[in-house]
Amino acid sequence: MEKGYRAVTVADIVRRAGIARNTFYENFSSKEDCFLAASEFAVKEALRRVVDAAAKVETWPGRVNAGLSAFLNYVASEPALARTCIVEALSAGPAAVERYERSIQAFVPLFRMGRKVSPHGEELPGTLEETIIGGIFWIIYQRIIMGQTEQIEELLPELVEFSLTPYLGAEAAKRAAAEQPQATAG
Amino acid sequence: MLETRTPAAPERARLVEALIEVAAERGYIDTSVELVVARAGLDRDAFDRHFRGKYDGFLSAWQEINEECMASLMRAYNSEDYWPDRLRAVAIEVVFALRADPSRAAFAVEVLAAGDAARARRDMTMRVLTSLIDAGRQEMDEPERVPHTTAEALAGSAYGQIYAKVVRGDTDGLPQLIPQLMSAAVMPYLGVEAALEELNRGSNMPDRYRRPVAAEPADTSVSQDADYPPELARLPPGRHGLPREFVAHNQRERLIAGLAEAIAENGYAGTTIAHITRHAAVSRRTFYEHFASKDECFVAAYDTVMAELRERVGQAFEQEDDWPRAVKAGIGAMLGFLVAEPNLARLCMVEALVAGPVVVERYDSAIQSFVPYFQSGREGRPADVLERLSATTEEALVGGMMSLISRRIIAGKTAELESLLPDLVEFTLTPYLGSEEAAKVAREG
Repeated sequence: MEKGYRAVTVADIVRRAGIARNTFYENFSSKEDCFLAASEFAVKEALRRVVDAAAKVETWPGRVNAGLSAFLNYVASEPALARTCIVEALSAGPAAVERYERSIQAFVPLFRMGRKVSPHGEELPGTLEETIIGGIFWIIYQRIIMGQTEQIEELLPELVEFSLTPYLGAEAAKRAAAEQPQATAG
Repeated sequence: MLETRTPAAPERARLVEALIEVAAERGYIDTSVELVVARAGLDRDAFDRHFRGKYDGFLSAWQEINEECMASLMRAYNSEDYWPDRLRAVAIEVVFALRADPSRAAFAVEVLAAGDAARARRDMTMRVLTSLIDAGRQEMDEPERVPHTTAEALAGSAYGQIYAKVVRGDTDGLPQLIPQLMSAAVMPYLGVEAALEELNRGSNMPDRYRRPVAAEPADTSVSQDADYPPELARLPPGRHGLPREFVAHNQRERLIAGLAEAIAENGYAGTTIAHITRHAAVSRRTFYEHFASKDECFVAAYDTVMAELRERVGQAFEQEDDWPRAVKAGIGAMLGFLVAEPNLARLCMVEALVAGPVVVERYDSAIQSFVPYFQSGREGRPADVLERLSATTEEALVGGMMSLISRRIIAGKTAELESLLPDLVEFTLTPYLGSEEAAKVAREG
């Protein structure tokens, strides 16, 4: 996907994959279909890794820390896939936007648990979780665009702090962010 | 949008408008130079004079939109003093601009298909937005406590949420995002209490523009805070039982008066929508119900003022039978109006010349509208006088008169304009009557 979603043709895809055009159409009805399948796969895989990592930790702030660590690790290890799902999602039309929003939704429950530990719980803005996840996606997107994929994992403490602050307050969020994540294995 | 399609509108601007419209309807891939030039009513050569092909056309239009957008973000931000209010003004500006111009909104989505260069231009605007959010740290006791990526994440997330609504065609749902986005943006800098407050403010403008006057007991009005604009008393907001047309008409006039006041205070370039709505004591939403932009409001104001001015000059002129005295009465009425309405005087005589091409055209036609009063002075003049007059004498007289008036206004001497009457009468009558006779009419009581 180094050419960008709209410029890519089915011919590009089959050449890169080393398969016949027929094989492509046996599996996908169109380029859109293939793109959506790729992004669906990536979101599922990312979510699986995040949930696995988070499950190994007891506290919610620790889960966010571990989950985000696993997520950044996955993105850094699959930059092309990340580019497809995050970068192209914000330039590939309505179907991609649908996909982008669904990937954000997939991660919402992990963050929403924070409302249970927050003194303000349900008073917090209804779209707070979307805002946090969308913000994390954007930061990653910017780093991919600037070719700084290797530095993505270094963002962990700042993104953990950003995610936890609305629920725990600034002080506790900073403390939690400073801790080493307890489970980084993907 | 029709204004920019008149043949006199600059070619490049017409092409850009046409490109935006076609791209909004058909998307990047299906937009062709042929469709764009057809929409603009121009030919391929015209396009080639301004752009190196479709891609360049898209990027140029996108660059212009981004520059406009950055300027309007800054203006909205600077229209308030307190950081959350500033950010709120920015959010409202963005949301209402997208709703007011669906073609530009759709174009902003479609242009991204042009690739990395289009994204890079957008991201410059995003950096400006990021810096406006990041300014929130200046409100903190320990400004360095918040990571710098926070503002970037908040800006990007806001973009994603707005983008998704625009792609879905749900621009009407955009105002609902304002409290949510504001709350999230304020939280890291000012804490959760301030964030919840933002949530409760809904999609409204900062409080002081919308406090209900009618609900306040009359005798507490003196104790209201200093920020409270007295203009609000003109028409209590909310359910006042006035017919809708009256309110709409009244609002439009108030906006025009508000624009004139704001311009007198800040000049045209320095005037923001927030200035106008504050002076008019109406909401930003109301502004956008009447006008798509500051320019459009200005043009409406200019037309209103000039219509009034023409009416008064015409009436004064008609009341005198003798042509030289009719001219004198007409000029006197003009000066009288300008002295009585110093804000409108500044608007139509000074700011009109700096407010951009649309108004400059109108300024020219306003000058033309006064020409016939002088032209009627040619009737019955001796041949040698008529020979001295050129085809453009009247235009030059009106232009010269306007220039003298506007220089006085710029110098802050609007109140003394009526003292110009004898000079202006002598100056304008001399070509027709000779200097001696002209001076005599000018000095009459």
